[in-house]
Amino acid sequence: MIHRLLAAMFFVFAFSGMANAEPFKWGGPIGSQTSDGYNALGPVVQQPIEFPHYRHARDMGINCMYCHTGARRGYVSVIPRIDKCIGCHQSIESVRNKPRIKKLFWYWDHKEPIPWKKVNDLPDYVRFNHERHIQRFYFRQNRPVREVCGYCHGDVANMTVDRRVKALSMGWCISCHEKDHRENDVSMKTSHGPYECWQCHK
Amino acid sequence: MSESGINRRDFLKVLGLGGSSLALTGCGNTDIRSGDEVIMPNVQPEDFVVPGLSVYYASTCRQCGSACGVMGRVREGRVLKMEGNPASRISGGKICGLGQAAVQVQYNPDRLTQPMMKVGSSLQPISWDKAMALLDEKTGPKSGIKGEEFGFLTGAMSGHLNVLTQNYMESLDSRNHYVYEALSPAISLAANRRVYGVDQPRLHFDKAKLIVSFGADFLGTGASPVHFAAEYAKFRKAPRGTLVQIEPKMTMTGGNADRWIAIIPGTEGVFALGIANQLLKHSEFTGTVPADIVDLVSKYDADTVSRITGVRSELVGHVASLLWEKTPSLVISGASVEGHAHGVQNAVAVQLLNQILGNVGKTIDGQAQSPFPQLSPAAGSFSALKAMNEKMGADEFKAVFIHGANPVFTAPSFMGFRDNLRKVPFKVAFVNALDETAEECDLVLPIFTAVEEFGSNVAWYQPEGVEITIQQPLMNQLYPDTRSMGDIMLNLVKARKADEYKAWPDFFSYLKTAIINIKPVVKYTDTDEHFWYDTLSNGVIHVDGAPQQVSAKFAATDLRLPASANAQDPVYPFYLVPSERHYFRDGRHANCGWLQESPDPMTTIVWDSWAEIHPKTAASMGIKEGDWLEIASQNGMLKVKAYVFPGIHPDAISIPLGQGHESLGRYAKGVGVNPFRILNPVFEKDTGELALYGTRVSVRKTGNSEIVVKDEGPVNTQMGRKLVVTLPADVAQLSKEI
Repeated sequence: MIHRLLAAMFFVFAFSGMANAEPFKWGGPIGSQTSDGYNALGPVVQQPIEFPHYRHARDMGINCMYCHTGARRGYVSVIPRIDKCIGCHQSIESVRNKPRIKKLFWYWDHKEPIPWKKVNDLPDYVRFNHERHIQRFYFRQNRPVREVCGYCHGDVANMTVDRRVKALSMGWCISCHEKDHRENDVSMKTSHGPYECWQCHK
Repeated sequence: MSESGINRRDFLKVLGLGGSSLALTGCGNTDIRSGDEVIMPNVQPEDFVVPGLSVYYASTCRQCGSACGVMGRVREGRVLKMEGNPASRISGGKICGLGQAAVQVQYNPDRLTQPMMKVGSSLQPISWDKAMALLDEKTGPKSGIKGEEFGFLTGAMSGHLNVLTQNYMESLDSRNHYVYEALSPAISLAANRRVYGVDQPRLHFDKAKLIVSFGADFLGTGASPVHFAAEYAKFRKAPRGTLVQIEPKMTMTGGNADRWIAIIPGTEGVFALGIANQLLKHSEFTGTVPADIVDLVSKYDADTVSRITGVRSELVGHVASLLWEKTPSLVISGASVEGHAHGVQNAVAVQLLNQILGNVGKTIDGQAQSPFPQLSPAAGSFSALKAMNEKMGADEFKAVFIHGANPVFTAPSFMGFRDNLRKVPFKVAFVNALDETAEECDLVLPIFTAVEEFGSNVAWYQPEGVEITIQQPLMNQLYPDTRSMGDIMLNLVKARKADEYKAWPDFFSYLKTAIINIKPVVKYTDTDEHFWYDTLSNGVIHVDGAPQQVSAKFAATDLRLPASANAQDPVYPFYLVPSERHYFRDGRHANCGWLQESPDPMTTIVWDSWAEIHPKTAASMGIKEGDWLEIASQNGMLKVKAYVFPGIHPDAISIPLGQGHESLGRYAKGVGVNPFRILNPVFEKDTGELALYGTRVSVRKTGNSEIVVKDEGPVNTQMGRKLVVTLPADVAQLSKEI
């Protein structure tokens, strides 16, 4: 199944790369994404800055966790602090006058947080733990980061502004927890995800 | 089968299907919509801030005077939860409900967020610059104000803020620093000084086999309830200690007692002397007290004691035999013993039992001497308020500052405090929220809450050695227009003694220097910076010291109790017991929803005031639960609902303190009644303190009734079912047991 998923993802990567540098910019109508059986494509969200994920993750090959530093450490993946952005961009003169970067520096100069809109949101009674998933699939199974993050977030590395592409519903979570996953990259031992209510509903 | 072709069973099937499909929908897609919520990332947070991960910082709880060491759970720069600090000898890693509520003080919607100035009859917002300019104009060095024209009223305070306050008063050449606590331990301290020569001996609950408590609610409102609760838990472990509580109204500690004895308020000393009389008949106690005391005590035979105290005569001998049997024991007194005209005598009479039983040195010894007396707490007293009130009445003040107390709420109406305060031309309040006193002031300055402020505290009850608890901010200030009280005090001192304080730009640097100066005393060998950071992360500095040796000394003159403490009063037949609730204390915590919602441990009533009345008294007056009563003293009347309660003396009426606010915030305003208002001018004759329990009241039924909101179920009726078979205490012959 994972292979089929990967193949589908590859197809999406390849196709979208050819057609458009920012393939998910317009998206289809809500619910048009049906490859995993959950009509899941979320709305296009207007962000304060059109952050080009494809530029960072695909073109530059930056690991998702370089910016989303909480994903391997805690429950939330963390929207990067602004000084993280500035840390690199103050040395990248070539893009310093681009409109998006100007906007970024405006926030930085005014010491104001950027009011990003939530794209992948869950109800308050659900506590999704990023750390558990990243530790298992990225560190122990040694899989590529874009694949691991992509299980839930889709192919963000080919998006400009992020867009929800998976259902993030309970049934969708369970559909993956039901499957047997290898415990690490050296052993063939497998186990499925937990089913206990309290694992997510604290 | 009905005419429509659907029978009841089919209908239920359909309904079941509909229900389950609805349930499935509930578990499936949710109503979360992408893009509807915002995430605000930090611009430039501290390196150790990891969103989603909690960090614990040590600090000090300032909800009461116990100065428990606490840890605050902090996430994304916000304090979310308070826990005990295991390094603190006072809290021992535990915390009480009042301490937990510190976060609700911080996020209280009624916090004052900007300075206010009285314009006409209302308070209007002004800028800090203008506020400080006004403060300087009226009280600064150029104002020409003299020391005797200035008064500073504070609550009990300790540590370096207290030192700064003293220095400020010194710089003004003023001796008018009034330390006021509405529920002060002043009478207890006076009795201790008379008997033991120290303010507060150390009490070893854990070493006692029997505790006889005369009205001391040490588990709820005592000097250090969290510490005492831990000691009490050790006392109750096998072999289980026995607790006897003697008081007019059952407190939470009384509710935990093995034997609870109701007594006429103010006659506890007589009961103690009655027990002493019985004990001194035993040969092993001969010579423990001087002959003149033996002579004085011998007048208190069981029948006399019973007549005065209203307690059955056999109980005198019974408690005496328990004390004789279980040794070592500990006999303590509390607020309901001390709050009378003869409060010191009452408390001394109670302590006499410890001397006879040889408890001094076993379950009672001294506290360690502090090497930093300047940090020790200034204990509050009512006499301080009285002195200030008299000076205000005589127009002697040009300016007063008020911080950490709400005297307009807690001063009894007979003092006319509000009117006298209005006579002062310039009044300044330093507060977190607008309370009754701040409403009367000309300038109201919003200060940091305890979880935003740096500081140091020393509790007046120290379990072991001396513990200096360090208060470090658990988060940055929530509102930009609030300021640190420490900074304000430092600037006030600097305005007059600039040279002496120029080394410190703010209170933080002053405190840091002062704390580092403690380093040699605790024999810390690493660098100053390491000491400072170790101290911050531990939250406490322990200065070890051997406990002082105490010995008890009694004079017969201190034991002369009035013979007519239970005199009948035809107009005001009832004794008013204004009980201290452990969540509200003197009322300063009433604007906290959690605390309003927490049921009173005895009655389970929430969000209200009530009058406890004994079932026999209620029956004789035709009063039922929820009946509106008029409780009147010579100084005022309160309308309050009746709660019929067996844990009270039939001649007493108890109304809890802390409610009845006219201000303070949305959760406090207009809830319940304020018994402080109707207290009579009865004073403890040796200390001049207000006798809180010395007021007599009348009770009148108004004829109206309303439901009492409480958690309690029908405890007495068991809804007609015999769930738990119970027997009245006298039928069960508990005397054979306890």
